[in-house]
Amino acid sequence: MSTALTERPGADVLPRVSGAAALLNGHYAPPPENKDGKTWVRTSALVQEEPQKLYELWHDLEKVPAWQEEIVSVTKTSAKTSHWVLQSGDKTIEWDAELLADEPGKRIAWKSIGGDVHEAGEVIFEASPGNRGTMVTVLMEFEMGVLTRMVKTFTGRDPKQAVVENLRHFKALAETGEIPRSQSAPHGERGMIGGVKRSIYGEKIPTPTGVA
Amino acid sequence: MKAVCWMGTSKIETLTVADPELLNPRDAIIKITRTAICGSDLHLYDGFIPTMEAGDIMGHEFMGIVEEVGPGVKNLKRGDRVVVPFTIACGSCLFCKKKFWSACDNSNPNAHLMEAAYGYSGSGLFGYSHMMGGYAGGQAQYVRVPFADVGPLKIESDLPDEKVLFLSDIFPTGYMAAENAQIQPGDTVAVWGCGPVGQFAIASAFLLGAARVIAIDRLPERLEMARSIGAITVDYSEEDVSVLTALKDLTGGVGPDACIDAVGLEAHSTELQGLYDVVKTALMMETDRPAVLRQAIQSVRKGGTLSIPGVYGGLLDKVPFGAAFGKGITMKMGQTNMHNYMKPLLERIEKGQIDPSYIISHRITLDEAPAMYKVWRDKKEKVTKIVIDPWAEKAA
Repeated sequence: MSTALTERPGADVLPRVSGAAALLNGHYAPPPENKDGKTWVRTSALVQEEPQKLYELWHDLEKVPAWQEEIVSVTKTSAKTSHWVLQSGDKTIEWDAELLADEPGKRIAWKSIGGDVHEAGEVIFEASPGNRGTMVTVLMEFEMGVLTRMVKTFTGRDPKQAVVENLRHFKALAETGEIPRSQSAPHGERGMIGGVKRSIYGEKIPTPTGVA
Repeated sequence: MKAVCWMGTSKIETLTVADPELLNPRDAIIKITRTAICGSDLHLYDGFIPTMEAGDIMGHEFMGIVEEVGPGVKNLKRGDRVVVPFTIACGSCLFCKKKFWSACDNSNPNAHLMEAAYGYSGSGLFGYSHMMGGYAGGQAQYVRVPFADVGPLKIESDLPDEKVLFLSDIFPTGYMAAENAQIQPGDTVAVWGCGPVGQFAIASAFLLGAARVIAIDRLPERLEMARSIGAITVDYSEEDVSVLTALKDLTGGVGPDACIDAVGLEAHSTELQGLYDVVKTALMMETDRPAVLRQAIQSVRKGGTLSIPGVYGGLLDKVPFGAAFGKGITMKMGQTNMHNYMKPLLERIEKGQIDPSYIISHRITLDEAPAMYKVWRDKKEKVTKIVIDPWAEKAA
């Protein structure tokens, strides 16, 4: 750093590398491009909770159905592996996952090792600039063609958006102890276009209850 | 229970629907004793707010008696009398911690819809479209209130409902508008729109020390009400009246120190620009009709403040931003941070400084509500504020 500016009274020490490769050598790096049948998602949330507590909540496999959309159960199968079951409409999807990295209070990384889903992901917990909470960054990669993604978007939710929503639910649960819901609100007769609209609003996917 | 439901543009029906139930630990069910129709409900009635769905229950101004609380609500119990703020806030996210309650990060389950339109989502609201949360509203006999340990204000005194009901939205909204106007002693404040929010903005401007308030509207009953609390009035619809000239005439050519736009996106205008906006919105080339915003920017004094409690929804055309920059004005706006104002304003009511019930013109039943939406929208009667008793069978 040059001496052109010597007064930075509120500045944090600049990280050289940050969560999920959003920052490399002090310069912003965009998320990886979608290509070769792979879809990438990077999303982040600022959560008013300690990194260690957030790490523990994310790590609690039994609690996952409480905040991840459409996940019915997650079962630990060994120290590093688990079995995941997802129910979407009347379709059941199952796969196994393996833990690749596990750094308490900092980072968790995983990948699928067989079954109906091909994905890999990592979540990073880091203090925000100025101590405004914990920055939680999720980076995920799906093996999924454009067509599959379109079908999924039409029948429920764009898988990219599902990652965003799951992080939103995680944040709400961590900050408030529950996940806000309005889907079963009382209402009058919806009429013919109600179903189409619900699909657009993402309301075909039940909001997780916040309770496992 | 009975509830007032939105069934399409200009179509409101009172229907029998399911009772609400507790869903989350911090929920409460409130038995509603009084509720009201808000001017902003007319934006829904007119179809200006997207993501309304047939069957949605209307209403975001209500109060009542706690019927049931979830295990996470420790500060309320069955039988407590409460006024509920129209914005829902969790109390623990970054924005709630900063007391910017209307920007709560967690209370809108459909935040992605707002993010698509606005970049970020504000808090969830009762009865105000799916993009604002999809929560059932309070023009009904019961309502579910999320984060009930944060929002509802307990009324411990025996003040009648009508004196405290408007703490649910319009009184704090008018008050925040006056606070946002950054009023200094001796200031002249101009208020466009003398509906309920405008009335409370006028009253609050005086409470905050304004020397003079100029109220602008076209409906005689509203102007009379504004004069009754001490404002000077300008009827923009009178022949030969130009608001810009009037405001110069009344301020020695300087312009008001602060301007408050309590009208918002459905402004009416007698000028050519009014016709221009009607045509452009009809052609879907513009979503809002910003006639008041344009006037307020042009008339505020150099270095003055523009406060905007009136609701805007989307894209505005021909906004004189050069004038705003050239005069170096400050603009402050947004949904009301209700939770900051409810208690202090309740104290002002208890002390007798203001009786907010002065704006009520109609008292009706739930069954009469659909017809009254039309009456109010079409200005068929002298309507200033409509209050509903959800348990009354006949008009009081």
